[in-house]
Amino acid sequence: MNTQVNIKTGRRRFSANVLTLLVGVVAVLVLGNPSVQAQTTGTTTVDSSVTIATTGTVTEGTTTVTLNGSVIIKCRRVIDNTSTTLAPLVLLDFDFSQLQGTTGSGKTLKTYVTGENHATTLRPFQASDTIVVTVPYFDSATDGQQASSFLATATLNFDTSTGKLTSASLAYGTNVFKSSGVGTFTVN
Amino acid sequence: MSDRNFFLSPKASKARLREAENARKNRWDIIKAHSHGQVSRRDLIKMGLFTGAGLMIPISGLSPFARSAFADSNIPTGLPPSPLFGVQPFSTPMPRFDVLPRQPVSVLNPAPTAQANTTQQPVDPALGGGTGPIEGRPPGPIWAHQQFSQLPPVIAIQATMEGAKTNTVYNPTVPSLQNSGINPANPIPFQFHPGLPIQNVLKDWTYNGTIPPKLMLVRYGEPVLFRLRNKLPVNQSQNGGFGIHTISTHEHNGHHGAENDGFTGAFFFPNQFYDYHYPIVLAGRNSINTTATDARASGPTDAGGLLKIPGDWRETMSTHWFHDHMFSFTAQNVYKGMAGMFNIYSGLDRGAEDIVDGVNLRLPSGRASVSGKSWGNLDYDVNLMLADKAWDATGQLAMDIFEFDGFLGDQMTVNLIFKPFMEVERRKYRFRILNASVSRFFKIALSDGSPMIQIANDGNLLPRPVTLTQLDEQGIAERYDIVIDFSRYSVGQKVWMVNLAEHQDGKRVDKDLSLAEALSGNSPDPCVGKFLEFRIARNPAQPDISQVPATLIPNPDLSNIPVARERIFEFNRGANQTTNDPVSSFFGPWGIETDNQRGTLAADFGRISAAPRFGTREVWTLKNGGGGWDHPIHIHFEECQTLARDGSAANVPAWERGRKDVWRLRPGGEVKITLQFRDFGGMFMEHCHNTMHEDNAMLLRWEIDDLGAPFLRPLPTPIPKPQGVTFVPPTEILPTAF
Repeated sequence: MNTQVNIKTGRRRFSANVLTLLVGVVAVLVLGNPSVQAQTTGTTTVDSSVTIATTGTVTEGTTTVTLNGSVIIKCRRVIDNTSTTLAPLVLLDFDFSQLQGTTGSGKTLKTYVTGENHATTLRPFQASDTIVVTVPYFDSATDGQQASSFLATATLNFDTSTGKLTSASLAYGTNVFKSSGVGTFTVN
Repeated sequence: MSDRNFFLSPKASKARLREAENARKNRWDIIKAHSHGQVSRRDLIKMGLFTGAGLMIPISGLSPFARSAFADSNIPTGLPPSPLFGVQPFSTPMPRFDVLPRQPVSVLNPAPTAQANTTQQPVDPALGGGTGPIEGRPPGPIWAHQQFSQLPPVIAIQATMEGAKTNTVYNPTVPSLQNSGINPANPIPFQFHPGLPIQNVLKDWTYNGTIPPKLMLVRYGEPVLFRLRNKLPVNQSQNGGFGIHTISTHEHNGHHGAENDGFTGAFFFPNQFYDYHYPIVLAGRNSINTTATDARASGPTDAGGLLKIPGDWRETMSTHWFHDHMFSFTAQNVYKGMAGMFNIYSGLDRGAEDIVDGVNLRLPSGRASVSGKSWGNLDYDVNLMLADKAWDATGQLAMDIFEFDGFLGDQMTVNLIFKPFMEVERRKYRFRILNASVSRFFKIALSDGSPMIQIANDGNLLPRPVTLTQLDEQGIAERYDIVIDFSRYSVGQKVWMVNLAEHQDGKRVDKDLSLAEALSGNSPDPCVGKFLEFRIARNPAQPDISQVPATLIPNPDLSNIPVARERIFEFNRGANQTTNDPVSSFFGPWGIETDNQRGTLAADFGRISAAPRFGTREVWTLKNGGGGWDHPIHIHFEECQTLARDGSAANVPAWERGRKDVWRLRPGGEVKITLQFRDFGGMFMEHCHNTMHEDNAMLLRWEIDDLGAPFLRPLPTPIPKPQGVTFVPPTEILPTAF
């Protein structure tokens, strides 16, 4: 007997135990109060973006880097059409590639870049959201293998009627996880 | 905190936990009955237990999404959390993969044959009795190994598929020092942690029946014959309640004939074997560099040199995996453990960081001069298989196959071990990260926010490395190769890999968390937060001479290859089934619409949805038809280039600008890709790799069938039985297929 075919067709007889179970469950169904999830298809999306000029400083060890440059924040709001109760989503993309850092001046001037890093994140849609992302940065004369990181705290405001990102601000800070995110153990 | 989470917190009230456990037991009886063939999904829908779209009706006492009797309104019952039996995270070492032995092909008995070996053997009465072929591969010339005489197998790799047992032959190929102190001579029982129960033989089915997961090491220019013997129980009900004993292995994403691709309808039965011929060739071998003069198109020799081969060196691949692809049972079988990894070595990606010849990229791996191995050193090249699992009150692997939106586990495993630690040295390591979950996406960061360097995506080295502090979401089946430099830490420090992607169900990520949020311990998703601990154990014995070059592998130039045609595939819920073949067609809520015709169709591996012309290039658009779910879409056979996301090339991030074979469409998103159809033919697949979606029934067949004899246009569909494979005409050919 090819049991594979049986799985697809369900032709085999039910055992007594399964029948008893199913009868019981169907009774529960009749007495229960099932809700029905939305089953619509088709997608509603709203795309928007803002470009903001930013400045700030971050410190690592004894080095303080001054950051300056524009950041592009792209936003796509998507309606969750599987649910009548769940909030829409926003897909966010933070492009820090135009952001540069510097230390020193003249002959000691060093330039730092963030490379091709984009911070991408998915969040529930709300009128305003605060998002903290880590961003790598490294000496532009190097290839990024010894990159450091800083924190970018973004405050985003959305138009709740259109779903568009209307304004944003960014604050930069030292990566506090550099110490808090590392533990110790006893080496054998 | 969300009110609709898949798993209850262990801190939930006893009444709620009891309620959830009762619901799970009730559901479990139905799952078992279904897996034993006593009831079909159609039956369940008729009985009103499922909606027409395939969702379980939220019935109290049955569904985890029914309203709880012990909580505020609209709070669902939830699933009971997996018990940990007092086990603490990061208390056991992470084992490196178990490397399958490479043997001369002469050891194979019977010897492999181009066409399937149809020597007859008795068939167990539980499988219908009589006689049947010893090999389950479809017989005849169409399913013969393509180019078998030109690319005869040199290496044999053998494995069995069987139930959980103790591993007594563990072979990590690295010294214990590079394996967190694990002594490979010690037997390894099948358990997710030494403090968790040993798994029942029927609950977990893996390659060779053991852990750690298996790894194949192969190199370009050296064809491999992978013989897989099915040693699963002949009785279908001996499955531990889920999974099926018929199997088909996909080498994801090999460039070879479809007979070796693990086609979903080319499954085989207990007591049979299947020979997969992996020629390990570069795409374009019949049209580019055909005289094999370019040293970059090469495989490593044992002497440290290069074996030049035909093909396009820019099609070199590195990190694959292999897994079961049984039609409509992939999720269950892969979840039971049918997954391994597959490292491909080349002149460029040698696995020997000290060979300097102008071709070798010298990525972190290990030194040939220390190991004596000219390729495939794994000391600093680490495979990581991430998978969320769940277990029942007795600690046995548990699954809920009726979560058609997607199944989530509540416990993180790495290489099938619950939240392990790994000892590392102060130097660069390469990690080949595979998402082997059923439905869960990951988003990985280090706990200190330190940068990582992504060097490959889906096994393809990127045109150039990308420095990131958090990786993009990683969908099911995607592979991200990254380099972490642990020299920034001191000996005695530890740092963790962290998951930022929070799910509340299997449809998609609910929210990407910040590092602080993920580390806070406040997420309702138990798989958020730290899942792998790196212990910086010592300085390296030799200086780190490995490199991450600024240029890795540029994309193949397709500008002179005309686009033969474009196709559109839209991935939707609410599928129709237009065919009713009892073996090849399946019913489920998910489906694919092809070229805006015929609506959204549920899977039928007898239906031809597309048949590109051999030797051409096409552009395909993959659209997510809904906004409430994500789909990681996989296209078999040849790697593709991503032309645009959501209508713009600028939306393709740097880490997706190489070649790929899985794309997260993202909610409401679409991706435009281009791919070629060359070197081999046969029937391939395209599907969602959220395997609950794939199985129910978001999968289609496409084929290359115009290579001439022995191929036919269209190809007949194989219908496997223990007594032999028969062929039937396609059930349907979509109007735009040809």
